[in-house]
Amino acid sequence: MEARLQYHEQLRRVEAHIQAMGDAAQGLFSKAINAVVRDDAGLAERVIAGDDVIDEYYNRSEERIMRLLALQAPVAGDLRLLTALLHINFHLERIGDMAVNLAKIGKLAHDLPRSQTVATQLEEMGGIALRMIGAAMDSFARRDVDLARSLPDMDDPLDKLNKGMLQEVLRIAEDKRMLEWGIRMHVVSRQIERVGDHAVDIAEQVAFVVTGEVGIFSGPDNPVNVKLP
Amino acid sequence: MTPTRLRSSDRSTVTMPNPIPDTTDGLRITPRQREVIFQTRDLTVSYGERPAVRDVNLDIHAHEITALIGPSGCGKSTLIRTFNRMNDLIPTARVQGSVLYRGTDLYAHDVDPVEVRRRIGMVFQKPNPFPKSIRENIAFGLKVNGISDDIDDRVEAALKGAALWDEVKGDLEKSALAMSGGQQQRLCIARAIAVAPDVILMDEPCSALDPIATARIEDLMQQLKTRFTIVIVTHNMQQAARVSDRTAFLTAEVDEDGDARCGVLVEYTQTKTLFTTPADPRTEAYITGRFG
Repeated sequence: MEARLQYHEQLRRVEAHIQAMGDAAQGLFSKAINAVVRDDAGLAERVIAGDDVIDEYYNRSEERIMRLLALQAPVAGDLRLLTALLHINFHLERIGDMAVNLAKIGKLAHDLPRSQTVATQLEEMGGIALRMIGAAMDSFARRDVDLARSLPDMDDPLDKLNKGMLQEVLRIAEDKRMLEWGIRMHVVSRQIERVGDHAVDIAEQVAFVVTGEVGIFSGPDNPVNVKLP
Repeated sequence: MTPTRLRSSDRSTVTMPNPIPDTTDGLRITPRQREVIFQTRDLTVSYGERPAVRDVNLDIHAHEITALIGPSGCGKSTLIRTFNRMNDLIPTARVQGSVLYRGTDLYAHDVDPVEVRRRIGMVFQKPNPFPKSIRENIAFGLKVNGISDDIDDRVEAALKGAALWDEVKGDLEKSALAMSGGQQQRLCIARAIAVAPDVILMDEPCSALDPIATARIEDLMQQLKTRFTIVIVTHNMQQAARVSDRTAFLTAEVDEDGDARCGVLVEYTQTKTLFTTPADPRTEAYITGRFG
């Protein structure tokens, strides 16, 4: 017969809270991409304001996790889950911050001459990053290590597009009127690439929860795993 | 090292090695390097026809604290009592398989259980000082073991070893029964270490103590393990996690008829592994409270 029912219910609740935060962070980031790509200053304002919701999720999650650590002395799978939740909480909060960064850049770049090619490329990058966040959180919900291990693979095209962005910006900057917008979009590209990295880090936490291994994903065929001592 | 002997006055003599000397202070010895003190092989202990714990195979390592945890009825107290033949005192108890102490069968017919219990002391759940003075509580055990010289020095050393000296040095003639529960338990530990044992067995030593007294005993255990090997039975999983180097998890299995329970060893590994990444789902279920 299961004991410590309240404790286990609290664990379920804090995980559900983090999943809801994941949805919120994903939604905010999606809006931020749209604000930049569509040059929508009003949407950018709403993204900036929306980060308060992510911060509230973050603070509540941390408070709940700390309380469980202090009062329930979790061990084994419960301990791994709570430490992973602490990490995932941090990564989602950072994704929220990056959505705000995108929105602020979008406001600064408002009405500047722009390149549709670059905007389309950023939209593609944003789509990849969003799918990565979704896959990472889904792998967490289902404790799906195989899906988690696929995240570095998903990250590769994002890295390539980000690296290619500099050349694209230099190309459009030959028209000096596009220089400022181009430079700002290069920063946007870098921010989107970092969101992909956060998704990979979340996936690493999934592998830790399930296997107890501290994983550094260097690629799906060559994960570097360090066994806990 | 010259071996010492477990003498039995009316039986043959068995040669046993001396306890290892106190040379580990300040050294960083990894668990894998430590000498094995006890080895149980296919150990089954029964009361009457009914096994209380069966087929236990585990090694206890020198200068470590080994914790035995598990639900009520899993046989952990039965198991710890095999390490100094305390089960001999129960007429229906029967031991099958083997318990090797430093390579010698503890249950060989010519091993003297009294000498075994001097080498392998025990501290119980409830402090059990003699109704005598603090000093006499320790001196008595020394005298029973034929030690009559330097009694005062030995009493002082034992009390210091049990982290009790500073609290009682002015009251050695005071009745032990006037001490607090925590002090009484440390006096029992002092009594155990006064006769220079090799191993100290502790059967839920803190279950009757408050958190402060418990913390003092736990601190003391860390000091004692540099000189002795310690095996502890505890119901408090956090205590096992805090103090021990290795943990054995036992559980009670119900037989096919559903009317008898018997303890089995489920998992035995380093404590930090057992409490972070246990290998057996039964361990995970028990330590996280999902036992079912």
